[in-house]
Amino acid sequence: MKKRFAAMAMASAMVLSLTPVTGMTTMAADALQVVIWDSNQQAGIQEICDLFEEETGIPAKVEVKSWDSYWQLLEAGAQGGDLPDVFWMHSNNSQMYMKNDMLLKLDDYIEASDVIDIENYMPEVTELYTYDGSYYAIPKDYDTIALWYNKTMFDEAGLAYPDNTWTWDDLYDAAVALTDKDNNRYGFAMNPSNDQDTYYNMVYSMGGTILKEDKTSGYDDPATLKAMEYVGKLLTDACPNPTTMSETGTDVMMSSGTVAMIMQGSWMTAGFMQNEYMCENCDVAILPYDKETGIRASICNGLGWAASSMTDRPDDCWKLLEWFGSKEMQMKQAELGVTMSAYEGTSDTWVNCTDIFNLQPYLEMAGESKDEGVTNELVLRPYTYNSTVWSSAAQSALVAAWNDPSQMEQVCKDFAVQMNQYIAQENG
Amino acid sequence: MANKSGKAPMTSWEKNQFKWGWIFILPTMIGLIALNIYPIFATVYQSFFKTGDFGRGNIFVGLENYATMIKDAEVWQSLWNTIKYAIIEVPFSICIALVLAVFLNRKMKGRSVYRAIFFLPMIAAPAAVAMVWRWLYNSQFGLLNNLFGLHVEWISNPKIAWISVAVIGVWSILGYNIVLFIAGLQDIPHDYYEAAEIDGASGVAAFFNITLPLLSPTIFFVLITRVIGAMQVFDLVYMVMDRTNPALPKTQSIVYLFYQYSFNFGNKGYGSAIVMLLLAVILIVTVFQNIGQKKWVFYN
Repeated sequence: MKKRFAAMAMASAMVLSLTPVTGMTTMAADALQVVIWDSNQQAGIQEICDLFEEETGIPAKVEVKSWDSYWQLLEAGAQGGDLPDVFWMHSNNSQMYMKNDMLLKLDDYIEASDVIDIENYMPEVTELYTYDGSYYAIPKDYDTIALWYNKTMFDEAGLAYPDNTWTWDDLYDAAVALTDKDNNRYGFAMNPSNDQDTYYNMVYSMGGTILKEDKTSGYDDPATLKAMEYVGKLLTDACPNPTTMSETGTDVMMSSGTVAMIMQGSWMTAGFMQNEYMCENCDVAILPYDKETGIRASICNGLGWAASSMTDRPDDCWKLLEWFGSKEMQMKQAELGVTMSAYEGTSDTWVNCTDIFNLQPYLEMAGESKDEGVTNELVLRPYTYNSTVWSSAAQSALVAAWNDPSQMEQVCKDFAVQMNQYIAQENG
Repeated sequence: MANKSGKAPMTSWEKNQFKWGWIFILPTMIGLIALNIYPIFATVYQSFFKTGDFGRGNIFVGLENYATMIKDAEVWQSLWNTIKYAIIEVPFSICIALVLAVFLNRKMKGRSVYRAIFFLPMIAAPAAVAMVWRWLYNSQFGLLNNLFGLHVEWISNPKIAWISVAVIGVWSILGYNIVLFIAGLQDIPHDYYEAAEIDGASGVAAFFNITLPLLSPTIFFVLITRVIGAMQVFDLVYMVMDRTNPALPKTQSIVYLFYQYSFNFGNKGYGSAIVMLLLAVILIVTVFQNIGQKKWVFYN
C-alpha cells in the first residue's frame, strides 16, 4: 500500500511539473507584481516600492526581464488573461495595448485623485499613453540623448572637448583626428541598432524625418538621405569595422577605451555610473547642431506606469501608480539617479544626483537653446501602431549600408518602400 | 494489452495492470497533448490566418501565408542555413562521440571523471553556453583571437560564422551522444571481442567489424534524434548573433526566423506557415532515413 501511495504521489508530481506554470499568479503573500525591463533601475524602483509598503501596507515586488522577454511575457499574458499587476509601457507598443483594452483605464481614478494632475507631466509623454481621449498610464520618465566623450583620449590627441558650439562637421573632424586604426582607436561608433540614440538625431537635426506626418516612411526624404550620407562618412573614416561593432556593442567599446565618442540616451547614465573606467575618463556634452538648419535635435521618449485591466486588485494597482506618479516619488526617482522624471521641474534633482558626470546636457536639450542661431528641438520617438516591425526591419536593412557606406542612398530608398508596406499591413 | 482477446472477463491482476498502466502513462500523455499535440494543430490552423493582436480578430486568408513564403528568399536562405548547420553538427557530433565513447568504455583510471567532464556541457543551460562562446569568439576581446594572435571575425564574417555556431552545437551535444553510445556499447557481449582477439584481429578491425555493426541501432537512434534536433536549432543563433550582425542572414535558422515573425513582429500566421515548412522537411528527411536504415542497421 505504501508503494502504491508513493507511486501515486510521484505520478501526480509529474503531472504538476508538466503543467505550464506562468509564475504570474503564484506570487507569495499579497505583493503586487511589478515588472520592468531595465536592471539599472531595479534597485531604485524597489526602494520606491518599499516606501509604498511602509505607507500603505501593500507590498510590491519588482521583477526585471530582458527587453525581448519582457514583451513576450506581456503579450502572452495579455492573450492568456494574466498580465502582471503593474508594468512599464513604451511608445513602440502602447497603441496596441490601449486599443485592445489591455490596460486599466485611469480617467476616473485621475479625476478622483488629489495627488495626480495630468497637467504636471511632460505633455509629450502624456500624449504617448492617451488613446481616444482616455489616459492609460501615468508618465514615469522621459529621456533625451547626449554625446559621451573620453576626456583622456581627447587630451592625448590635444583636442578641445565637445561643447555647445559644435556642429556635425566638428564632430566629424574630431572623430577622424581621434581615429588611429593601427592602434585600434576610433573616434566614433554606432550600430544600425543605435537608431533612437544615434542616427535618428542626426536625421532630425539635418531637417530629415523617419516617419512623415501622413505615417509614411521618411527614409527617402532628401534631407534624411543627406543625414544618412553623413552617417556613412563617419562609418568609413572614424568608426571600427561594422562587424566588430555588431559583436561588441558601442557602449562596451566606449567603456573599454576603444572609441572616443558615442551618443547615448539618459537611461544609460545609471549603468555608466557603475563603470569604473567611464567614471574616470568620460563625460557628457550636448549634441552638435547642424550648421545649415541651425537645429539641435534630440529624440525624446518617455515611459509610463500602467496597470493591467484584468487585475483583481485595480484599486491597489492604482494606489501604486499614484505613488509612482506623486511629486515626492518622482523627485525620489530623480534623486536616486534612476532617470529623469516626467514630472515637470524635477529634473534638476536628477542632474544633481551625481558629480561624476555633468548631466546638464541631457536637461539642456529639453529647454530653449542658449546659443544664437540654434534652436533646440525635442522630437518624440517616431511610432506607429506596431513600430517594432519596421524599426527592427530598418536595423536589419541598414546592415548592408554599414558594410558598404557607398550604398547608403540605395539601401535607404529601398527600405522606404519596404517600410511603407509594413505600415500598410499593420492591424491598427 | 491485458484484455486483447476480449473474450474472458479481466482477472483482478489484469484489471490492476490495466489501471496502473494508464496511471503511469497519463502524466506523459497529458503533457504530450497539452504541450505538443494541441499546439501542432493550433499551429496548422493559425497558418491560414492573418493573426490579430493578442489572438483576437484573426482573419482567414487561406493559403496566402504559404504563397508569400514560397516567394520569400529569406525563408529559403534560412532553411539552407539550417541544413548547413545540420550537415556539420550531426556527423561531427556522432563520429567524435563514438570514438570517445569507445575509449571511455575501456577500463582505465579516472574513467568516471572523464565521463563527467564530457557530459558537463549538457547540464549547462544552452543560453549560458552560447553566451560564453560568444565572448570566446569575440574578434576584439575574445580569448580565441588573443590566445593565438589572430584577427578572425568568427561570428560576424558571413563565410565562417555558420561553422563557428555549428562548432558550439557539436561541443554542447557531445556528452549526450557519448552517454547513449556507452549504453549501447555495454550491450555488446564481450565474447565477440575475445573471439576476434583469438583470431588475431586488431583493435581497429574489431571496431569496424564488431562495434560498428552491433552499435548500429544506437547510432541510428542518435542520428534520427540529432537530425531533428539540429533542424530545430534556435538558442545558439539567438544568443550568439546580434540583430545587426552582418553574418546573421547567412546564419539564421528557420526556427529563428519563425521566432522573429511570431514573437517579435506579432505575425503569428506567417510564423506558423514557416514552421510548417520545417515540419514538412523534417518529416521527409526522417522517412528517408527510415527507408535507408534497412541497408545499414543490424538488429540481432
